[in-house]
Amino acid sequence: MKYLSLVIANLRRNRLRSVLTAGAIMLAVVLVCLLLTLPAGLDAIVENASSNTRISVHNKAGIVYSMPASFVRKVRQVDGVAAAVATTWFGGAYEEAGRVTFPNFAVEVEHIGAVYPDYAIKPEQLADFRRYRDGAIVGRQIMRKYRWKIGDRVTLRSTVWPVDLDFRIVGEIADEDSPYFWMNNEYLDQALKAQGGAGLGITGMIWVRAGDPSRVNSIMRTIDELSRNSEAETACETEKSFFSNMFGSLQGFITIMIIVTALVALCIVFIAANTASMAVRERACEIAVLKAIGFDRRVIFATLLTETAALSIAAGSAGVLLAVAITRALRMFSGWSEALGPLGAFAVSAPVVFQGLALSVLVGLLAGIVPAYAAARRPVVETLHEVF
Amino acid sequence: MQAQLPEPVIVIRNVSRRYVRGVDEVHALDDVSLSIPTGHFVGFMGPSGSGKSTLLNLVSGIDRPSAGEVIVAGQKLNDLSEDELAQWRAGHVGLIFQFFNLMPVLSARDNVALPLLLTHLSKTERPRRAEIALGIVGLEHRLDHFPRTLSGGEQQRVAIARAIVTDPDIIVADEPTGDLDARNAEAILSLLRQLKHDFGKTVVMVTHDARALRYVDDAYHLDKGVLLEGEEARLAAEALRATAGHVPAPGR
Repeated sequence: MKYLSLVIANLRRNRLRSVLTAGAIMLAVVLVCLLLTLPAGLDAIVENASSNTRISVHNKAGIVYSMPASFVRKVRQVDGVAAAVATTWFGGAYEEAGRVTFPNFAVEVEHIGAVYPDYAIKPEQLADFRRYRDGAIVGRQIMRKYRWKIGDRVTLRSTVWPVDLDFRIVGEIADEDSPYFWMNNEYLDQALKAQGGAGLGITGMIWVRAGDPSRVNSIMRTIDELSRNSEAETACETEKSFFSNMFGSLQGFITIMIIVTALVALCIVFIAANTASMAVRERACEIAVLKAIGFDRRVIFATLLTETAALSIAAGSAGVLLAVAITRALRMFSGWSEALGPLGAFAVSAPVVFQGLALSVLVGLLAGIVPAYAAARRPVVETLHEVF
Repeated sequence: MQAQLPEPVIVIRNVSRRYVRGVDEVHALDDVSLSIPTGHFVGFMGPSGSGKSTLLNLVSGIDRPSAGEVIVAGQKLNDLSEDELAQWRAGHVGLIFQFFNLMPVLSARDNVALPLLLTHLSKTERPRRAEIALGIVGLEHRLDHFPRTLSGGEQQRVAIARAIVTDPDIIVADEPTGDLDARNAEAILSLLRQLKHDFGKTVVMVTHDARALRYVDDAYHLDKGVLLEGEEARLAAEALRATAGHVPAPGR
């Protein structure tokens, strides 16, 4: 501790260089901390969006393949199933040049409320959804985004079916982050028939709610058994598994990001090491004098290494605090701006704080160890000959 | 009746120092023997490359001889490791350099207190001792000044205060007046002699400065790694005096 004043004095020697080095380390730690929140953040998004009793039933060949609409009636007969609803991708675009900007499905209005009781849709709104053939229930995120309100009429132009449909908004999903738009599948069916087609007749996905979480696995096995050897064999999975698989494609991206982050951290080690080497080289004369007046190699090594480590740890701590502040700000602003959407789910957890601080210690030690060792190990007479 | 000489604090016996520089072997010192009594102020003199700085490094425990013995304050330095020598220097040697070599980021007080970090003195005792040392060299009014705000002479005084603050057995000065004007050089030589008179310190100095002959008790002349003796030494001293004019040393 008694050498701390010497360490601090040396850190103040070239303030601009210390600040710039600390800034580089701080930004690297911020980046690493934010990226380390990604896996946990995605898990949180899946967790928030999932129920432990809901099951997805889709074609075994993939979610883009359909199943007979009648299959949902068989599913409802399965022991343990509390409710089931058939949903079909409408692929409707609103205003924005044919681009689908939110997920919209045709659903069975009589069953949707029973499958999603946790979505807190008001009973009178569900009643209106059943009453009005052109009724729609919309997630609050989409309501906010387009400044819609209940009673508004909107038109969606399907990118899948040859129809444009007008809807009246009769209710909303209370969840602030819900992006869904549900319409009556009878409405779509009749519109298709009016075009001279055969009507809907198929469904893309059936969502099932089990009455008891402990029976979810047996229900999934039974449903898959029901469809075996049919034209549309099914693959059941829990809602959590379904969303995890949807995000699964992001895992590779996250891995790449983490590798890039590791490389950035390595660059920072080299930058900090270069700074430490420059600092040691500039002070060769002073280090020689310190050795001459009796500072042994251990003390020289420890003080030089402490300088780099102290700078790195201070910068790393600031970086961790900044990462916490950024994620908190994202959480706060995600309620105001739908553009930030699920970013509010990302949080710097205690393990991430620990990893950020550990990184800063590692950067400090790796950057400082070589120049400090090189300066300390040389005999005093050699150092004096070189500088005097 | 012959006067009793004080015990030698520095004994050098048949010391040689050879370096390998590239493919050449350099004989910096060749079979040098001398002893310096406690409380003497001595100068090592000679032209560049004569081996005087090498001899100073051996006396101060910065370097080790290739052959022979160096005994300082009762300690044979040949056998000590690099770290043991560092610890020994911290307790027994005060070093003064030509270019002062103060830490620019530390005040005069903190510069002087630097060697005390290696002692067991408390945080409050270290600056107190540094202030006493600065008082001895006449800089009690410059405690909080940083080196860049001090003149060359003042910086060398701070360096002298740093050298004496641990109360060492010997003070070793390498060209202490080499970077000073005539007035400051005289003042520094005066101060070194005062340390010998007032505190009984043994001061060993390397210098080219002929003025130093007026201040030292003994001058050792070296040439090409050999300690000159007898007529050769007398002629070397005469030649050096001739460069500065022959003036008897004050107080001798």
